[in-house]
Formats: sequence, structure tokens, C-alpha cells
Amino acid sequence: MRELRIHGRGGQGSVTAAELIAYAAFEGGVFSQAFPAFGVERRGAPVQAFVRFSDEKVRLRSQIYEPDYIIVQDPTLIGDVDVFNGMKAGGIAIVNTEKSDFDSGVPEGVKVYTIDATTIALEELGVPITNTTLMGAFAAATGEIELEPLEHALRSRFSGSMADKNVRAAERAYNLIGGAA
Amino acid sequence: MALRVGCVAAPGRALENKTGGWRVFKPVFDPENCTKCGMCAMVCPEGCVRETEEGTFEPDLDYCKGCGICVEICPKKGIRMEKEEK
Repeated sequence: MRELRIHGRGGQGSVTAAELIAYAAFEGGVFSQAFPAFGVERRGAPVQAFVRFSDEKVRLRSQIYEPDYIIVQDPTLIGDVDVFNGMKAGGIAIVNTEKSDFDSGVPEGVKVYTIDATTIALEELGVPITNTTLMGAFAAATGEIELEPLEHALRSRFSGSMADKNVRAAERAYNLIGGAA
Repeated sequence: MALRVGCVAAPGRALENKTGGWRVFKPVFDPENCTKCGMCAMVCPEGCVRETEEGTFEPDLDYCKGCGICVEICPKKGIRMEKEEK
């Protein structure tokens, strides 16, 4: 079983990202589970969401304390929240930051992919909501989900031009990380 | 912020909770254009736009959430939003 923890701020779509990643993973043929942390959910407050992927049915219902993967939607969270807490060695972290030399507090053995998702989201969607962009980056960095099921997941949630824009943002991130990985 | 039993906190503790990290865009005030009307300070939901000694205004970026309401209200269009690197 592989586990993903998403750190974000209320309004950045962490919970939606978790749901759509689980949807895409399930479509790709594995069992999956997504749920948020119940806590403050107002705009701007630090939030978490979780996803589990497994080849067998997922019976576990607890929060995720030792993730294989994390997504950090906002680098300013790192001062407030211990985002790397409990990360397994060999884990993969995807951090939304403009700084390519990002290394604050990264534990040993964790591979970090940085992506400037805010700029991509602003260019493709017109709003600084980075969840779908980071989903593309997650797909490319970890291989847990393929681009095609990801696109289906996005189109199941968004319609019309909003779906096209989100798919474009995810694809851009996928190609950006895929080229680097 | 840790709360004690009963969730009673000393007054003024909200100042410890710096909300500046939330924003994507920051407001940039142009004092040259300012007529000192004070509308920006009036509408700021965070109450973080302060009057300077010259009577113009500036935001406290420790708390500004980047909502951009000051930009909307400024009659002289003397405030603009700028993307911040983080």
C-alpha cells in the first residue's frame, strides 16, 4: 500500500485533488481511498487530505502518518506545519515553489520535485488554484496514476472550458516533471 | 497557538497568527498618487493598511492576505497587485 498526504491551504483544492487522484488511480486498476483531515476548513488555513493506493482492498481508515508521497501546495506552509513529518525513506515530495534550489527541511532519502504550479495555474486557469496542476506533477513524478485516467477524473469533475483548462494545466505539469524525471 | 482547558487565550494573541503567507499577490501602494482619502484602510478586511507619517497609506505585509479590495476601492488607481515569489 502506498500513501499520499496533501498539504494545502483552504481554497487551494487539496480535498478535490485527493478525490480526483483516487478516482484516477481506481480507474487505472488499483484500489484507492481519499479523505480529508477534519479540522479548520476556512480559506487560507492549513489543511490536509489523504489518498491510499493498494493492490488489495483498503481496510485502513486512519489518517496518514507515514506517507510515501507528499504534495505541498504552498511553500509558506513549511514554516507552520511539519509537512515532511513521518515521511518514509525513498519517498517523493512534490513542492509548489518558484525556487528551483528548494531544500528547506527535506529529510534524507526523500526526493523532491519542485514545480512553479502557481504560475502554470494562473496562466492556464486564471486563478491561483494549483490542485489540478500538481496532480499532473504527481502523476509524472510517482507513476501512481496515468495521464489518461487523470484526464477522465478531471472531466468528471469539471465541464466545458473549465475541464479543458484544467486538463491543459495538468498536462503541462506532467510534461514538465516527466521531462525532468 | 496552544489553547488551555476551556479554550481561553490571553487577549491580543491573534497577532501571533501572521496571515501574510496566504497571499499570492501583494498590493503595492504608490504614495505619489495618493490623495490621503483613506478608503484603502477603511475597506481592508484584515485592518492591516496603516497611515504613515506623511498621511499616505501602506499595508502590513505580515498580515495582508492579498484580497485586493484596496486596489478595487482606490479612486486614484494608486494601488496595484504584484505576484510574489515564494
